[in-house]
Formats: sequence, C-alpha cells, structure tokens
Amino acid sequence: MNEELILQHGLTLDEFHVIRKYLNRDLSIEELGIFSAMWNEHCCYKTSKKWLKKLPTDNEIVIQGPGENAGVIDLQDNDGIAFKIESHNHPSYIEPFNGSATGVGGILRDIFTMGARPIATLDSIRFGLIETEKTKYLLNGVVHGIGHYGNCIGIPNIGGECEFESTYDFNNLVNAMAVGHVQKDKIFYSKPKSIGGLIVYIGSKTGKDGIHGASMASDVFSEEDEDEKRPSVQVGDPFMEKLLMEGCLELMSSGLIESMQDMGAAGITSSSVEMASKGNVGVYINLDKVPLRQPLSAYEILLSESQERMLAVIDKKNNHKVREILQKWQIDYEVIGEITDTKRVVFESNNKKVVDLPVEIIVDDAPEYDREFYIPRKRKNKDFDFSKIKLEDMITNLLTNLNYLDKSWVFDQYDSTVMGDTIREPGQSSGIVKIHGTQKVIGASTDCNPLYLRINPYEGMKYTVAESYRNLIACNINPLAITNNLNFASPLDPNIMGELVLSIHGLKTAAVKFNTPIVSGNVSLYNQTNEIPIKPTPVIGMVGSNMDLNKINTNKFCEIGNKILILGKQLKKNCSPYLLQDQKIAFNICEFNDLDVLDLDFEKKIANCVLELSDLKCIMSCNDISRGGIFSALLKMQYKDMGFRVKVPDPIDLFCEYSAGYVIEIRSKDFEEVTSFLTKKGAEYLKIGEIVKEGIEINSKKFDYFDIMNKYRNDFEKIIS
Amino acid sequence: MSFKSAVITFPGSNCDRDALCYLKDLTKGEVHNIWHEETSLPKVDLVILPGGFSFGDYLRSGAMASKSKIIDEVVKHANDNRYLLGICNGFQILTEIGLLEGALIRNKKLKFLGKNCFIKKKFKNNFNLSIKDNQILQIPVAHNEGNFYCDTETLNLLKNNEQIAFEYCKGEFSNTEENINGSIEAIAGITNKKKNVLGMMPHPERAYSDFHQSQDGRLIIESLIS
Repeated sequence: MNEELILQHGLTLDEFHVIRKYLNRDLSIEELGIFSAMWNEHCCYKTSKKWLKKLPTDNEIVIQGPGENAGVIDLQDNDGIAFKIESHNHPSYIEPFNGSATGVGGILRDIFTMGARPIATLDSIRFGLIETEKTKYLLNGVVHGIGHYGNCIGIPNIGGECEFESTYDFNNLVNAMAVGHVQKDKIFYSKPKSIGGLIVYIGSKTGKDGIHGASMASDVFSEEDEDEKRPSVQVGDPFMEKLLMEGCLELMSSGLIESMQDMGAAGITSSSVEMASKGNVGVYINLDKVPLRQPLSAYEILLSESQERMLAVIDKKNNHKVREILQKWQIDYEVIGEITDTKRVVFESNNKKVVDLPVEIIVDDAPEYDREFYIPRKRKNKDFDFSKIKLEDMITNLLTNLNYLDKSWVFDQYDSTVMGDTIREPGQSSGIVKIHGTQKVIGASTDCNPLYLRINPYEGMKYTVAESYRNLIACNINPLAITNNLNFASPLDPNIMGELVLSIHGLKTAAVKFNTPIVSGNVSLYNQTNEIPIKPTPVIGMVGSNMDLNKINTNKFCEIGNKILILGKQLKKNCSPYLLQDQKIAFNICEFNDLDVLDLDFEKKIANCVLELSDLKCIMSCNDISRGGIFSALLKMQYKDMGFRVKVPDPIDLFCEYSAGYVIEIRSKDFEEVTSFLTKKGAEYLKIGEIVKEGIEINSKKFDYFDIMNKYRNDFEKIIS
Repeated sequence: MSFKSAVITFPGSNCDRDALCYLKDLTKGEVHNIWHEETSLPKVDLVILPGGFSFGDYLRSGAMASKSKIIDEVVKHANDNRYLLGICNGFQILTEIGLLEGALIRNKKLKFLGKNCFIKKKFKNNFNLSIKDNQILQIPVAHNEGNFYCDTETLNLLKNNEQIAFEYCKGEFSNTEENINGSIEAIAGITNKKKNVLGMMPHPERAYSDFHQSQDGRLIIESLIS
C-alpha cells in the first residue's frame, strides 16, 4: 500500500506498520478506511485517553459513566437523567447551517439511543470578532441551524452561552448538549445480548454525505481547505429524526429490541465495531442490504456519515413486529447482518468479504499517545494603572461589547417552551425544565472561561467548573454531575498539550470537591487554522436538580424596595482578567497576572448558604457574579420597571470578578434573619443597595436608566446586523 | 355533561402531547389522541390540530397535513357546528384545508420567533368569552411562518363578519414590538364565519399551569366550557 494513501487516511506510517504487522497481510482499501475512521482522535481519543482516565466518573448517583452514548444519573424513584455534550466545530465552520443542525441531531440521537426521551438542549457557541463579514455569516448560519433542528423536532432549547473573541476568527466552536429523561429500569445499552441476534438498520437511507467526517474533525485546517471539505459535512433532516425518535422510543418501550447504537461519527463502521467490542462478540454485515440513496461502493457505505440512522440488535422472533411499528412511522428498516461468536468484524459486499478484522486490533490496540507537554511559565507580577478609569467609560465598555449584551436575538430563534415543561428559559443563569408529571426539576448550564484557562489552565478550569456550579446554585439547583467538551488546538504543540493536561487536572480537582462526577464528554482537538491556535476552551455542562419546583429562585428582580446583598470574595483588580481585558487595561496575554488560587471549600460554603437561604424562602432573586462583575449581574437581573441604587467604596469593584460571588435580593423584613444567618455561618456579606423604580444610581451618581437598558437589550441586534 | 375533546397527531406534530395535557387538565373530560391515518373521529365537542412541523413542513407549512386521511372527518366535525382549534401549525393546516381564510407567510424578519407575546381579543366569539375587552394575555409564540396575510377584500370580510379573534399588542414593560411577526393588522387569530373554528399562532397550551410563566391560556378552554 502506498504511503500517500495511508497518510491521506490520517494514519501515521508507524500506526500503519502496527496494523500490518498484526495482520501479517495487506489491507483492503475498505479496511484502511475502517482504521482511518476508528483510529482518529474523534473516535479513539488517542491523545487525551491517558489523561481522561484520571477524571472522577462515579459516585452514588451515577448509573452510567463515560463509554456509552450518554451518561446517566439517578434522580430517585424510577427517574434517570441522561445527558451529554458534543462538538460540531469543524463542520460548522465549513457549512454553518448544516454543521450546527447535525450537531444537535447527533447529540439528540445519543440521548434517545439510551431509551431516554430528550427534554432539553443547550449549546455553547463561540465566534470570532463580529467586525468581519465571515463571523456574521457564521453566527447567522449556526443559530439558524441549531434553531431549525431543535424547533422542528420539538425539544426546548433552555440555555447556553454565546461569546465572541478573535481567537475563534478561523475556528468557531459549536458544542451542543442534550438532556433526556429515562426510566431507570428501561435504560438501553449498546452491548448486544445474544449470539445470533439480528443486526438491523433503522432510519434514513445512506448517501455520500459526511464521508471521512470524523477524520476531518481530527485535522488541522488551512484556509483553502474550506471549499474542498464542504462535501464532508453531513446534511440533517429533523423531520426524519423526529420520526426516528418516536419510532425508536416506541420499539424500546415495547421491549422489542436488545440494544441500540447511533450511526454517528464514522457511521456504520464505528457503530458496529463498538457493538462487537462492548459485547465481546463478532459482527457480520452484508453491505448489499444497506438501504442506499444512490449507488455507493462498499468503501463509501462504510464511511458515510449520513444522518438519522440507527443500528439495533433484535431477537429474530421480533422481526415482524419491529417492521410493523417502523412502517407506521414511515421509517426504512432492513435486516443487514447478525451477531456472531467470532470476535471479528466482517463486512461482505457482492459475495466478497471486503473486511475481515479481529475486533481486538481495531479497538483494544488503538494507539494511545503520551505526548510531550510543557507547563506554562510562572507569571511576573504587574501593577496596572487604574487612576484614569472613569465609571462612565466602564459602563460604555460593557454596553459596546457583544459579550455583555442581552442575547435575545439568539435565544428568540429557538423554541424554548415546547413540551410545556420549561421553567426557566435561555438568558437566565441556568435553564430549568420539569420532569413531566412530577414536581422535580432539572437545571443545566454550559460554561467556559477561555481567558482564565490561557493564563492558568489548572486554576482557570477550576474557575470554569465553579462558574457552572454557581449558575445552578443561584437558581437553588443542587449540582449533580458534569459532561465536558474539551476544545483545544493541536496537541502536537507541547504548550497546547500542557493546557490540555493541566485543565483536565483542574477539572478533576473541582469535580472531586463538588462531588460532581464526569459522566460523559467529548474531545475536539486541532482547532487551529494557519497555525493560530484557539484559546483552551474546555466547556463544562453541569446538571443539577431540585425535587420541588416551588423552591427554585428567579434571576430577575422581584420588588422595588428590596435590599441587594453581595456574597463571596472579590478578585483583586490586578487579578481580575476580564476586567483588565474588557476595560482595555491589559492587551497582551503575557501582561496578565496569574489567577488567584480558587478556594473550592469557600465556594462550597457560600453555595450552601445560598441553598439554605433559598429553602427558607429568604431569597427573592439571585444571580451569580461572573464576567463583568456585580454591574453585569445587576443588569441581567433587571425586570419590568425595576433598577438599582448601590454604594461601594470604589466603583471599579463593581466590575471585578468574584470567587463564590452571588447577588441576592432580600426583603427588608428578612434582613436581620439573613445577616445573622450569614454571620453565624462565617460568610461575609456586603449590603450594597436596593431595588428602585426606573433608575440606575451608583455612589449617588444617577445614570439614564432607559438609555442603558435600551442599549443592553437592543444593541446586540444592531451590532451584528 | 362532561366536555369531550380530541387532538390529531400528524407525523412531525410536536405539541400534541402538550395539547393533550392542556385538555386533560382543564376540561377534566374524555380526551382522545387520533393518528392522522384514522378514518373516523369520535363525537367530541372540540378537536385540536396541534403545533409542530407536520410532514416536516416540506412543500409548504400545513400543506401535506391538509391532505391526510383524517381531514375529511375534521371538516365534517366543523360542519356539524362543533369546535375546532388550530394552534400554530394547526392554524396553518386550517388555512390549507380552506376552513379559514388567508395564509401564514414567513415572519417579517425572516427568522424563527420563540418568545412570549401579548395578545388581546378583537371580536367576541365562543373561544374568548371569558376574556375581558382590553385584557392583555401573555402567551408564547414559536413559529417561522406566522405572518398572517390576506388580500384587502378578504380582510374587509374578516372585519365585517367580526372574524378576527385575537390581535398582537404591546405588553406592559415589555421590550416586544406591537406586531411581532408583521401580520396584517397584527392579526394573531381568526375564526370562520360561523365562529366555531379558530386558528391562532400563540400557544395557549404552554401557558396554563401554575409553573408556567403565565396562566392566560386557560381562558380559551374556560370560555368554551362556560
């Protein structure tokens, strides 16, 4: 086999020689395709595996950790919650509408493959600077794609984040998360149960779309690649997915199938290989039986990533019943093979075995690298000059920065109330949905602080996890577990590899402390173009619950006259990265001081105070303090005709970031009770002011309430148009 | 006598469960779920055509659903002077069947719109009896094609026959435009001439329970039952 062909398939020559030596024969082109699909980063985590193994993945509520289509946690009674986040970064840059739409489609399939009905989606999207036409095009396409898919299939989008930063100019990020509800005794796994079980194909016909999608996702971009790679982007059909979801859920609840796998990245290859590996069995598949949209070669069928397809194993005796149910839903269905005892993966086409490989060499012998990494150098201390900073300018800096403005333009394109169980819609600190027919609610939030992570990947990751944690706590949601999406540049650069290793380490530290295990996740590497790497962007999706929907907090002001209290500890001005960056005090990444060490015990202590006060019904509204400090948190809390009057020693304090920071609104009559409670717990607080009618006042200086709120609410759309 | 109702499910309907819950909780009576391929409809007081993307909204929103087998029965039900309510995609289907006038075209800004909107009643009918004049209702919308359009002649007919049931309006303190999707005369819902068939874009079935942001959607079922 010639070297060029091997390299084109994304394999190194060393990797190829391992395979060649094991088999002691030449590979067919189809077999080479299989290794190309299964041995890339996207499928086998060859760079990150060594480090991911160190993450905490289990505790008393984890039913299923990483390794299945989605993680599942226990929510008492017979309720389980399945959730996962996944990236569709590269496809969304090449073709934003279809790239992001199929990202949503893929993650929803991961959820209902587990037997869970999806009940919410979230997304974390990042773009370059809005000044370029390209960013506007990407933003419009991505938001349209996410909306179109989710709206059509009818799953509410309940939150997420949307940020703009030049680091994503040539590599926008699209991470989609889905949450589903499953009855604990009805969870489905990908492991087949019996030898002789029929392998069946369910869903859309196979076409040419997405061939080599997974290996493309594991590659570095150059600018001219874009047009050439467009055919590798899959095209989604949410209507078909809706039928597929209803059909599959009906099959599962009727007990007609044994196991199921989504044909996602690397299509039929990866789903069948994983099935064989999980069950420690073999698979035989006749490719001539695969429903096709157009004539395809065996090689193309194996690598197609056509959407809305499932692979399932059923007992022979159920064949007729399965066909009947799927006919009702107008879904293609074909028996294409069977589970064997050979522990080999065999694909046949035109009466010829085109692939005949032991499962072991594909899965167990997949490469695992221990790549070289560097620890970032210690930062020098620098004192910044704040003497020329004016309060008016600070406010203007926030109100002209997309990252601080109300993002209704994005959220309004998503259906957030379909299914009738939405409690908190996008734009609040966390999205919240009710579990249908119960009083239980699920809250979820996605977060990342890439600037923190570039300054200090270990501490930065702790801050990121803490931010998700605070977002849930602010709503009186008890944080339970994490899914993560590690977006990084090329790990072949030891500096980038260092960011990956240290942030995983930070994730571990925080997850152990908060008792929020990582139950699912995804890794997206090589997010760099023309050798410009993205900032480390390991996105956290945190899920929590409250058993009583009447106990959750709002993030919006409740009543004029109520007091505003601040909990937590302010970061020093010199060590408040977003303050320095967004107020245009520091410009270059090397200027920033190191992050303060985040005290996770302190985070927990303050969080517990918020939860207890919420249960005592002492908190009227609450928001966490993140980028933009108290001022930004107060803007987000504004509601109806309510504004705020505050007094602080130094106005710059209002824009600093916090550890364990929360703004809470309390009634005057509860003031004594709340403050003595906090004193007793040893939690410091700061009374900074009260809610007033139609006003914004800082240290006796009055600002134009209507002008500020108008800009906050409406300027996002103006800037991006 | 208990109030009986039914919800039709088409492939791609995604508010059918919500409509079923809405009816069960508020009517306390029998509620049927009917698959689009059925050829008979139980005798009920109200049929809902729910929201969603019936048949993927391919060809044109509601166009394929209007040719489903069950539709003959739905038309008979309406001709029997019984209540028929189309919500969102259901409204689109009703205009495609021809039971309601006009058409729903793409929103003015050519973007999907999912948010709370505010409506008030225009002319009285049995669907809005319990709603006071000038009472502002907060109900979510979620649509891409909700921009009601008809020619001047039809518009005059709708007005003269008092067929306009709801119109969009501005809510107190709200940032929302008066006419969110560009509909002619801010029309949010219309009835047929006999006023037993209502089509509306807002989703009352997402605004009735204690935990919803608003409970104004109750008023429609309460109007029918009273």
